Formats: sequence, structure tokens, C-alpha cells
Amino acid sequence: MNKLLLSVLCLLAVFAAAMPCLADTVNGVLAEERVVNLPQDQSKWYVSVVGNATDPRYNEIVGWFDTNASLKKLKNQVHFCPVTNETAVYQARYASNVKGLPTVRMQQADGTVVYEAAGKSLPMTAAGLNGALAGAVSTAQGIRPILPWRRDMEHRCPGPRPNPQPNPVPQPDPEPQPIDDNGPPNVDPDVPVEPPLWALALVCIAGVLVGMGGGYGKQFYAKLNPPVK
Amino acid sequence: MSQSGLKRLLLVLALLVPFAGCETMLATKPVKKERPTVNVPAALRQSNWRGPEGQGSCVHASMISLLRWQYRLKTADHWRQTYGDGEQPEDLAAKFDQEGIRYAYVTNGDVRFLEWACRTRRGCGITVMGGAHMVALVHLDDKWAAILDNNSVEKFIWVPRETLIAEWKASYGWAVTPIYAPAAPLPQ
Repeated sequence: MNKLLLSVLCLLAVFAAAMPCLADTVNGVLAEERVVNLPQDQSKWYVSVVGNATDPRYNEIVGWFDTNASLKKLKNQVHFCPVTNETAVYQARYASNVKGLPTVRMQQADGTVVYEAAGKSLPMTAAGLNGALAGAVSTAQGIRPILPWRRDMEHRCPGPRPNPQPNPVPQPDPEPQPIDDNGPPNVDPDVPVEPPLWALALVCIAGVLVGMGGGYGKQFYAKLNPPVK
Repeated sequence: MSQSGLKRLLLVLALLVPFAGCETMLATKPVKKERPTVNVPAALRQSNWRGPEGQGSCVHASMISLLRWQYRLKTADHWRQTYGDGEQPEDLAAKFDQEGIRYAYVTNGDVRFLEWACRTRRGCGITVMGGAHMVALVHLDDKWAAILDNNSVEKFIWVPRETLIAEWKASYGWAVTPIYAPAAPLPQ
């Protein structure tokens, strides 16, 4: 009888412990309801790409955020806002404060601009834009850039890649970004194109050979043409 | 050091004093925060309209304004063309599901949902007037709340936080919002 009573009490204790969990809420959303995983992304930064939907340059830059691995990664870490100049959003929130089109602007969550470039001031390539954004993030966070010789070697000499084709047709609503809670983005560092070490060694060896050859040449020339005394 | 040399040094120091600390002053310049947090531009605000059954479409109007703020312009247009009339939480959820729209909602009056929606700059629709009407909550801080009423979209309406919360809780405590990237803040 005592054992039975003890078992019932234990069972009740387990239920008592479980009940608050069932009733628990996340930011007020009941677990039984539809969405419980609310993004705590109030610290996320913003990247706006602003331009004319019919401008191939604008479409090219927007395309970089899908074709360039580093920019694609960045896109998923920030609130990515592609804005075209025929929209009310542009008129109300960008027209008065952009210097030209297209514009790429990176902002902290409180609106502080950490990078902005427009028109001809924009880098020519996706890698260049990524480098500029990486530099801006480092500066904003007071981080020193990674020293060149410690950078990832396999990315040094990128092979030829197909250029993204500009698409002048206005796009439908952009693909929604993954839901997460990221704060400041972690942008891949910019990688300058530097000659590989073996090329430097080859140049040095060539220099030594040329020097030695020159010396021997001079001696040979002196033998053939003895000075007139 | 001669007396004239000392005087010269003092003069230089005196000239430098006004410039001391200028860099610090610049570095600590306060950031002007946008108010309301969800500062929906006038052109993006959707007014209420009569649906096919002659009912008001306040829930849909609030969702359309928020969808536009979150730059789902095509989705907002589609919503305006497709839906209307009065709405219930479960039915709206079913429509969101059908359209593949990301959303979250509560019907239990938990204030943390409102705080989350405004903290993340998304805003949310909230019930008022005993549940007969929905407006968009566009700001909530320690003291104040701001709403955008689709029956009068010209301006934001500011009310004390506690007043707003009391009204909402007395109106079934339904709050709902789409979940996409909000418009970027104005540059600081």
C-alpha cells in the first residue's frame, strides 16, 4: 500500500514539474500556437542596395549577393534591403540621403552608417565590394585586419568566373532570409591579389642568372677586345 | 628656460586648451533614434476599406502596412487584391499559411510579444475597441506607445504605454505580424 502511494506521489511530482514547461511561452507566443521561434534579431545590421531596377549595374550588384560566396554569406547575416527608386520606400527613406545611384549602404542596428558608396565610387567587382564592406566592419568594431600572410591561401588567385547577367526586369519580393539572431556580421576579409611565393623566387633566380651572365659577358668581351695600350 | 621662453610655452598651452577633448566629443555624439521605431512612410500606409461582404478590413489593412514596411511590396499588393472583410486569428493564420507568409501571433495578451515586435522594428497588428478593431502598433517603450490607425492613417497616435496595454488586453489580446527584414533605419 505504501509502495503504491509512493508511486502515485512520484508520478504527481513528475507531472507537476512538466506542467510549467507546457505552459511556458517565448516572448508571449504559446508553445501550442503557430510560431514559437521568434528571431531575436534586433542587433542585426542592415545592408541596403539602392538603385534603378532597369540599371544593369544595380542588378549586377544585387546579383553579387547571390553569386559571390562571401557576399551571399553576408546577406544571410544582415537585414538585406534591395530598394528600387520607383518605390515609395525609396522616396520616403532614401531619396533625400543617397549621393547617387546605385548606392550600397551598410548600417548598424541603430542606423549608424559604417559604409556607403554610390555610382562610380562603388568597387568594380564583387570581391572588391566584399573587401570594402569587410574593411568597414573591421573599422566599426575596432578590429585590425588580418595580416596578408595569414590570409587563406586558396583564395588568392581566383579563377575566371561567369559574370552575372543583368536582369532589367523588376524583381518580385526578394527571397526571405533565414531567421536567426545575428548581431554584427562576420564578413570574409578582403584578399588582395599578390604574386605567389614561387614567382618571387623565380624572379630572384632570374636576376642572379642575369647578373652572372652579365659578368661573364664582360670578361669574355674584354678577352676578345684587349685594351689598346 | 628663460622667462620669455616660459611665456611662449604657456601661450602655446593656453592655445591648445580649447581644442583638448574635441575628438572625445565627436566620438560620443549621441545617436538620434527614430521615433516611432516602425516609422511607416505615409505612402506605405494602407487605409481601411469595405470588403466584398461590406465589412471593414482593418486586420488586412494593418497587415498590408506592415508587409510594405518589411518590403514585401508584391505580397502586400496581392493581399490587398485577394482578401478583405473582418478576420479571426485562426482564419488569418490559415491564410498566411496558404500564402507561404512567415508570421507570428498571440491571442493571450502577453506584452512580451509587443515588446519583441517593436524591439525588432517589425511592429504588429493589435486588437483594440474590445476586439472590434485592429491597428498597427509602431512603437512601444517604457512610457509611450504609438499606433497607426487604418481609419486615419495621416498621423501616428501616441498614448501612454499602460493605457495601450490595458486597451489591448481588454480586446482579446490578439497581436500578429509578418516576419521579414524591416526597412533599414534612417542613416545616422
